[in-house]
Amino acid sequence: MKNKKHYKKRLFLFVFAMLISTGYQSFTLSAGASNIQNKVTETKLSPQDKQIVNAFNRHLKDYLKQRDRVKKKLQPLSKDATPEQIDAYQKSFVEGLRGMRAGTKQGYIFKPEFTQYVRTLIQTEFRPRDKAEIKQTILEADTKGVPLKVNFPYPESKELAQIPPTLLLKLPQLPKEVKYRFVGRHMLLVDSDNSLIVDYTLNALP
Amino acid sequence: MKRSRSLIFALILIVLCSLNAAVLGQGKAAKNGKANGNGNGPAAKAPIAVSLPKKKDSIKFVIIGDTGTGTAKQHDLADILFRSRATFPYEFVLMMGDNMYGGEKPADFKNKFEDVYRPVLDQKVKFYAALGNHDEPAQRFYEFFNMNGKEYYRFTEKNASFYALNSNYLDKKQLEWLESELAKDTAEWKIMFFHHPPYSSGGKHGSDKQVREVVEPLFVKYGVNVVLTGHDHFYERVKPQKGIYYFVSGAGGKLRPGDVKDNSPLTEKFYDRDMSFMLAEIVNNQLFFQVLSRTGETVDSGILVSRKKK
Repeated sequence: MKNKKHYKKRLFLFVFAMLISTGYQSFTLSAGASNIQNKVTETKLSPQDKQIVNAFNRHLKDYLKQRDRVKKKLQPLSKDATPEQIDAYQKSFVEGLRGMRAGTKQGYIFKPEFTQYVRTLIQTEFRPRDKAEIKQTILEADTKGVPLKVNFPYPESKELAQIPPTLLLKLPQLPKEVKYRFVGRHMLLVDSDNSLIVDYTLNALP
Repeated sequence: MKRSRSLIFALILIVLCSLNAAVLGQGKAAKNGKANGNGNGPAAKAPIAVSLPKKKDSIKFVIIGDTGTGTAKQHDLADILFRSRATFPYEFVLMMGDNMYGGEKPADFKNKFEDVYRPVLDQKVKFYAALGNHDEPAQRFYEFFNMNGKEYYRFTEKNASFYALNSNYLDKKQLEWLESELAKDTAEWKIMFFHHPPYSSGGKHGSDKQVREVVEPLFVKYGVNVVLTGHDHFYERVKPQKGIYYFVSGAGGKLRPGDVKDNSPLTEKFYDRDMSFMLAEIVNNQLFFQVLSRTGETVDSGILVSRKKK
């Protein structure tokens, strides 16, 4: 009888401990999840960094204005276009932009201080293991043969290096018309609709 | 005695008639094959054995990834895909990205996609594409990829929502869109499809932890049921992670034989000896799947149950 009572008590304690541990586990899991989200969205900018990012955005806006002017002259591309229509649209878009941006040199948008900002961001905002993963992801892509030339299209036959989302969330957000790209350690700004290399900067990836 | 003789005669007659019919049938099929411009055409072969429930009014679809090569082997697999439709009339195909390797000139769209899937396209089957690391974003305008000009999008079929993500460029805008769509989504099945696998036992690529870090919290929070991916050129069914089923189906046009890591703790089932694709069918709170290889062999099958109770 005493044994039975003792057994019941032990069973109760065991179940109680299990409930506590499950509750704790699910709490830590959900806490972990929200930490992840916070970790990748927060980037505090110093006043100096703000100036650099603002200057970057200003120059980018200049490009977007040029782009708009060219785009207005084009026949809009249907959302269910044939490959021939897509090809023709991209070619006309690139041609128009190259004409309008003739003489634009490397560094028009990516100023040296912006490159340094990106390098510092990667160096300081990520743990060594994450940094290594970011580098591995970017450098894994076979981008040999992509010309580093402003106003040239990114070759459609070449792989596009995946930009690790944790890095993308730290970099200044871009409008949908342009994207960051990497060719090896070099960072590019590429037009989303016609793959034109708008600008590039060397060794942005430390 | 007389009766048994006439019985034997009748039997012989039946056998001869059926043989004749078979020979005639073969001749007809061979002719069809030739008419397709290839002596080994889809019509020359028998339908593929598909054992899903094949219920009326269910959602029937295909999952295939890393297709865009235009090689003879991709054609072989597409032939199995086409023939499986005779018994399993799927309505759409989800593409996991890398829809076009190498060039993306108009001729490439023809050689690496339209010519390969012509018999299926002719039956008005819709393809829904996600973008991979070999795909130009301009593919979103292509008529047969049904992306409606968007790099990421959602469509609904009955009690299921399908989300195509661009895992090559998961920026803040895309993640905000994903969260806002998921927050208002009441579908019983929330199915994601994109290129880079958050979980994979691939030796060449493997789990994409960077992608996992940003999407998994949303998947868990909003009750995503299934995540379909490619990138690694094999088939893998991953053990459920935080209650979510993950699949890698990246052998639709390329194969990396033997790439699945030995004794990977993630693997529930894998197949990396030949190219493959998945058939899937949603019947209420159950999702049935069957994986077919390039030879039409079933290499995996099973049933998933949605967590949301009806």
